[in-house]
Amino acid sequence: MTESEYLVETRGLKKYFPLTGGVFRKVIGKVHAVDGVDLHIRRGETLGVVGESGCGKTTLGRTILRLLEPTEGEIWFDGKNITDVKGKDLRHIRRQMQIVFQDPMASLNPRITIKNSVGEPLVVNGIARGPKMRKMVLELLEKVGLTEDHLNRFPHEFSGGQRQRICIARALALNPEFVVMDEPTSSTDVSVQAQTLNLMKDLQDELNLTYMFISHDLSVVKHMSDRIAVMYLGKIVELTPHDIFRYAQHPYTFALVSAVPIPDPRFAGKAQILSGEVPSPINPPPGCRFNPRCIFAQEVCKTQEPELRDVGDGHLVACHFAGTLDFGKSAQQEYAEATGSM
Amino acid sequence: MADTKDLVLEVHGLKTNFYTYEGVVKALDGVELFLRRGDTMGLVGETGCGKSVTARSILRLVEPPGRVEEGEILFREIDPKTGEVNAVDILQLDEDEMLHIRGGKIAIVFQDPSTFPNPVFRIGDQIAEVILLHQDMKHDVLEMKINKLERILNMNPPPVNVSEIVAHLEQLRSMRGNPPEPDEKAKKKAAKWRAIEMLKLVRMPSPESVVNQYPHELSGGMRQRALIAMALACNPSILICDEATTALDVTVQAQVLNLLNQLKKEIGTSIIIITHDMGVVAETCNWVAVMYAGTTVETCATDELFANPLHPYTEGLLHAVPKLHEERERLPQIPGSVPNLIHPPSGCRFHPRCDFATEICKTEKPKLEEVQPDHWVACHHPRI
Ligand SMILES: Nc1ncnc2c1ncn2[C@@H]1O[C@H](COP(=O)(O)OP(=O)(O)OP(=O)(O)O)[C@@H](O)[C@H]1O
Ligand SMILES: Nc1ncnc2c1ncn2[C@@H]1O[C@H](COP(=O)(O)OP(=O)(O)OP(=O)(O)O)[C@@H](O)[C@H]1O
Ligand code: SF4
Ligand SMILES: [Mg+2]
Ligand SMILES: [Mg+2]
Repeated sequence: MTESEYLVETRGLKKYFPLTGGVFRKVIGKVHAVDGVDLHIRRGETLGVVGESGCGKTTLGRTILRLLEPTEGEIWFDGKNITDVKGKDLRHIRRQMQIVFQDPMASLNPRITIKNSVGEPLVVNGIARGPKMRKMVLELLEKVGLTEDHLNRFPHEFSGGQRQRICIARALALNPEFVVMDEPTSSTDVSVQAQTLNLMKDLQDELNLTYMFISHDLSVVKHMSDRIAVMYLGKIVELTPHDIFRYAQHPYTFALVSAVPIPDPRFAGKAQILSGEVPSPINPPPGCRFNPRCIFAQEVCKTQEPELRDVGDGHLVACHFAGTLDFGKSAQQEYAEATGSM
Repeated sequence: MADTKDLVLEVHGLKTNFYTYEGVVKALDGVELFLRRGDTMGLVGETGCGKSVTARSILRLVEPPGRVEEGEILFREIDPKTGEVNAVDILQLDEDEMLHIRGGKIAIVFQDPSTFPNPVFRIGDQIAEVILLHQDMKHDVLEMKINKLERILNMNPPPVNVSEIVAHLEQLRSMRGNPPEPDEKAKKKAAKWRAIEMLKLVRMPSPESVVNQYPHELSGGMRQRALIAMALACNPSILICDEATTALDVTVQAQVLNLLNQLKKEIGTSIIIITHDMGVVAETCNWVAVMYAGTTVETCATDELFANPLHPYTEGLLHAVPKLHEERERLPQIPGSVPNLIHPPSGCRFHPRCDFATEICKTEKPKLEEVQPDHWVACHHPRI
């Protein structure tokens, strides 16, 4: 078999959660967290994933890693269908795919020292123990900018940003091929964030890693990613190899980039806030899911669901009017021009 | 500086240490803050500089092996009846008085959304509990009844006994000045109703079903919104948001920050926003304090800070902010590494990383001084 160009692929992937209610916790509905996602991630690339809180980014990542059972659809990894693998094979696959969780505190055991937390996967998988494990852990910690005197400390002794780096160190312990980074730098400051991101890029080159990079910070996603997927209510609405700040084609993507706070008080209040009711993943609207909040919506948007189609050189958009809409200029674009950073 | 009456919170010389096995972590070494009534202050600085410990110290939530060693935290409240301003030093209060302040008068939303108070209780019950703990529900019970009747009146088709309902509604409305004491059951119901209202305020999708869900069933951003709702439920005088909007996407973040600024006007809450996002500071804060390695190095109005940073560290910090459109292979970093707080640098803690450091910087700790009107800096060589 030839090596497939894609390391990760999903086909019509769905993940629903039961919604319970009432005193007896009866199932009264379904949360359509991931609702039909087709993705291809190339070897060595970084796919950025952005979208509103609750749109299903974390669920997508966890389902691909088989940490959640998919409701429907297929997951392919390294040319193999892994949707149903179990037992030893699943454990083997899990070593090659790691995740850095959104909540660093929740993923570190508070009673275990940093050395043992980071070293745990090494011990469990029989790779190293004792002094050798300590040495490897120290190397990992140094990679993420921590030092020897952090080894025997406990998670609560660290600041939020430091904890996140510990999680990154642990995810890298097993030399994975594919890493899902769920908001890896959201609670670190710009300088440390820059260090961490630069480091993640270096590690990617060095170890030929493939990343799925989930973040709310669009400038960070833009910096890190080769392609960006924009999610809305469980679906991908735009997938682009281009700069989303300048070449957004889906109205939601444009709304997203227009809401980014501008780091200059002279522009205070210029960022545009997306209006309209917050959509519910329990009863997603028919037609285009974005139609109730979309300023360009026509009749067809209320009844027909737009398909994700190629508008040229691999830029995919799910909008009936992709390519024909004029968004005008965002305040962010004006800011960029004013500061000469275009 | 402004008249001290306008300051709802003043922190002076705050020192907090952690007594660990490796040695004493001198996390805070003389933090100075002033928060004016109605202001939104941004508290910024790199990872590990002590922002969260400062917030915890203000609420006296530092746990062993940590201890607040020194300092003064003045909280000034306006008595709603007399209009007089009363100052208390939080560090001198006993635990009972503190319970009254925590959550009720000063509320905090923590950095880690996994810190939801209790993972095995439903979101709605947890918010309702906080509401019941800090507020008498007389007004809410009445409002809930009024709200219900109003909804019935607006039904389509209209109810049969309109005139009766209108009369009853009038009667209830007339009691707004002095609502009757409700029973326990009505109180609980009203608290739950308010919980839903609070969730709506923070733009939670399907709030009616979220109240019946457990924390682990929500996404990271939804959990944070629930925590913000809980913190706001008691109309606190001061709200501290520790990275409370970082797990929110930009659109919801913009809505929530807007909401906070709006609430600030309505209920007179003053806000401290701890964040790494200078965009959030520029958009929402009118005052900023910059911390470095446990000390306040600069504090002034937001416009002033961006236009005229005086501390060398602040300069570097602003320089490292990613420009939205820039194409850069590598992001700029502030050279040097975060100092070890067990053996912090002598004198000015920033001196090993500072381009302008001289002999005096190595030996003498600079004091926070007003070097220009309303612009405070702790530096021997401010960049004037
Ligand atoms: N274990 C669960 N049980 C029930 N519902 C869940 C569960 N996990 C997630 N959900 C729901 O699935 C939807 C998607 O959640 P998910 O965590 O994937 O969002 P997200 O895009 O990562 O959001 P955020 O940016 O806030 O982290 C949400 O509506 C959430 O309430
Ligand atoms: N329980 C503890 N034991 C020992 N050291 C601690 C403890 N809690 C905090 N520290 C130390 O105190 C310093 C300040 O931590 P703090 O959490 O306030 O940082 P922060 O400014 O909030 O950082 P971040 O932006 O990453 O959240 C850090 O160096 C941290 O290691
Ligand atoms: S399909 Fe219609 S509603 Fe959806 S984004 Fe395009 S124009 Fe707007
Ligand atoms: Mg998430
Ligand atoms: Mg913190």
